[in-house]
Amino acid sequence: MKTRWALPALLLILASTAAISAGQYEKLDYYIQQMITAAVAKDQASVQTFREQLDNLPRREPGDSAQARSFRQQGLDRLTRNNFKEALAAFRQAFIADPADPDIAGQLSLTYLRLRRLKEAERLAVYTLSLAPGQSATWFTLGEVYGQAGDVQRAVGAFANAYRFAPDPAQLAGQLRELATTDAADGVRIGALQALQSLQAIPPAPAAPDPPAFTPPRPTSPETGAGAAGSAIEPLSGSNPLIHSLKQGLAHLGKPSTPVPSTTIARSPEPAESDNPGQRIYRRSLPLTCLIVTFRNGKTDNLGTGLLASTDGLVLTNDHVVEKADNLAVKCGDRESVAKVRRRGKAPDLALLSTTINSADSFVLNETYSQDLVGRDIFVIGNPYGLEGTFSTGVISGLREIDGVRYIQISAPISPGNSGGPVILRDGTVIGITTMGLKVGQNLNFAIAAAEVIAAGFFDPGRMKSQPLKNKP
Amino acid sequence: MNNPAFQRWAWLLAAWLAAIPAFAQNSESNRFYVQQMIELAAANDEHGVAAMQRMLEQNPRPAGPDPGAAAAMLQAGLAALRQNDPNAALVKLQQAVQLDPGNVEAANHLGLVYRKLGQLPEAERALQQALSLEPVRAVAWFQLAQVYGLQNDVRRATGALANTYRFAQNTMRAEEILRNIAENEAADTLRNAALATLRAYQLPVADVIVPPLAPNSDMAPMTTPARPLRFAP
Repeated sequence: MKTRWALPALLLILASTAAISAGQYEKLDYYIQQMITAAVAKDQASVQTFREQLDNLPRREPGDSAQARSFRQQGLDRLTRNNFKEALAAFRQAFIADPADPDIAGQLSLTYLRLRRLKEAERLAVYTLSLAPGQSATWFTLGEVYGQAGDVQRAVGAFANAYRFAPDPAQLAGQLRELATTDAADGVRIGALQALQSLQAIPPAPAAPDPPAFTPPRPTSPETGAGAAGSAIEPLSGSNPLIHSLKQGLAHLGKPSTPVPSTTIARSPEPAESDNPGQRIYRRSLPLTCLIVTFRNGKTDNLGTGLLASTDGLVLTNDHVVEKADNLAVKCGDRESVAKVRRRGKAPDLALLSTTINSADSFVLNETYSQDLVGRDIFVIGNPYGLEGTFSTGVISGLREIDGVRYIQISAPISPGNSGGPVILRDGTVIGITTMGLKVGQNLNFAIAAAEVIAAGFFDPGRMKSQPLKNKP
Repeated sequence: MNNPAFQRWAWLLAAWLAAIPAFAQNSESNRFYVQQMIELAAANDEHGVAAMQRMLEQNPRPAGPDPGAAAAMLQAGLAALRQNDPNAALVKLQQAVQLDPGNVEAANHLGLVYRKLGQLPEAERALQQALSLEPVRAVAWFQLAQVYGLQNDVRRATGALANTYRFAQNTMRAEEILRNIAENEAADTLRNAALATLRAYQLPVADVIVPPLAPNSDMAPMTTPARPLRFAP
């Protein structure tokens, strides 16, 4: 009788074992996802509870560690040479030889990430964390995986756990800052930035030797609207990590594929004079032309152009460039700053930004608005589609008044991203601010007249300069 | 005829003769169940595989005449394998299986040696025997998949690889092995089988790039014309 019951019982155990085996990954993933969710919610107790669940799982059978070490070394050598495919082959062999080694599994996950094989990277990271739930480097990898996949929420949770379990939290915060400013993927940058913002509430793991050295304040929204007009420009602290992140982020955003001319210009304050008027204007204007990056809900939202209108950092641009922004960052030449909206309006479509940029030079607005302008050569500089410092030429095609705002019609080609940039005459003065173009026709583009900028109250006579038309064309 | 001793021996002989076809029949039915596990795994029929697995596990393990001697032969066979002497290993492992048909290790390694020697039908039979004794033995499933790969039988190779993954102690390791085969294996059959298995389990795998064909020595490079072009005057 006993044997009659023993067999079905054995079969049941075997069947359930097989079922567990088929769902191994799902079970591990459940715990990891719970740790991520708890980290996002800053629920430290739950993070610890699920970590303990993982710690209590049966240990994996170790494999051939000697063979695995040999393959691992090969993988590391290839990884340092950025030979990811060969690194994958080596780490894979190492993992097959000893799947219980969390370092090898973690490096395999990282290699998959470098190869942009995100699903594999995620699976290996989850598996690695089941072996070593406190392995900070793999939480970091998982954060990058989720960020690259566009899953910011999970990236934040994974980065937060990377910080929580980091042996050196200050160093990890530095790594997060670097990701927040230099990573090509929006999700990674934003995830890292949001994780940095939440670090204040995360104490490091008890084993961590030092307290976190990094406690960034939350970002504040810029002052907007007419009420902010006339208020003193508050100096912005360069030591604020968020501001630092935004500033450094500019170094990456909108970077042209060719060598950046601004770098050359910035290092040569006295470029050789050229007989070519376009070249002369380009060289002078480039450091005074600004890339404006807007952030909304923690994400990069918009790119535009601005012009440095005073030596103490006032930047003119279009209102539609900054209208939806929570935060602003500005780069003029190689000088970077966060920015606040000092004044803005819809008609004319203008915004005046204050920054911490100090410059020996600034643009001079041209007060002239007359038929004498038509036919004159103009030069347009801006950041169309993020292509920094794009220079184009044309002529003033006409003068137009639309809805009571004075515009200069120009024939120079412009594209999205040029908005807010200067339209420059041969004498180097700004005759207009690039604003819009007709979708029909060709090169039927419009700039708000500099005279309108002055008349509409966006001109600060104490800090900005203007002059009438002097030279004949 | 009425001698009790003779009657006892006659009775034993009759029982033995009856047992031979019964054992043979049992062996064939086990092979059938193993084949069914392969087919059902290839069709991604999890419940069907589990049912066949239970049928196999209900069978009593055949008792051999001398399990102790079989274990010694197995060790000798493994030693010969380590010394890279498959022929010697074959002899020892055959003896081990004869001495104890219920020895899974012996049957499994016998299948391995047959495969190394290119005797694929024998390898298949030995591995099926090992799996009929222990249907959750992932290593045996993997070896059987390799045998089917060598026989260019994609479907069975897929089924065997699917069971390899299903019964693997460490599914992540099995997954990585499958990806390695799917991305790097030179033989089409096994590579495609691994790919099909990964897809059946909805596991990630890189897009498979067909390896470039070997250069054809009969063709001259395009940059080196065989003879100079001539123009009509």
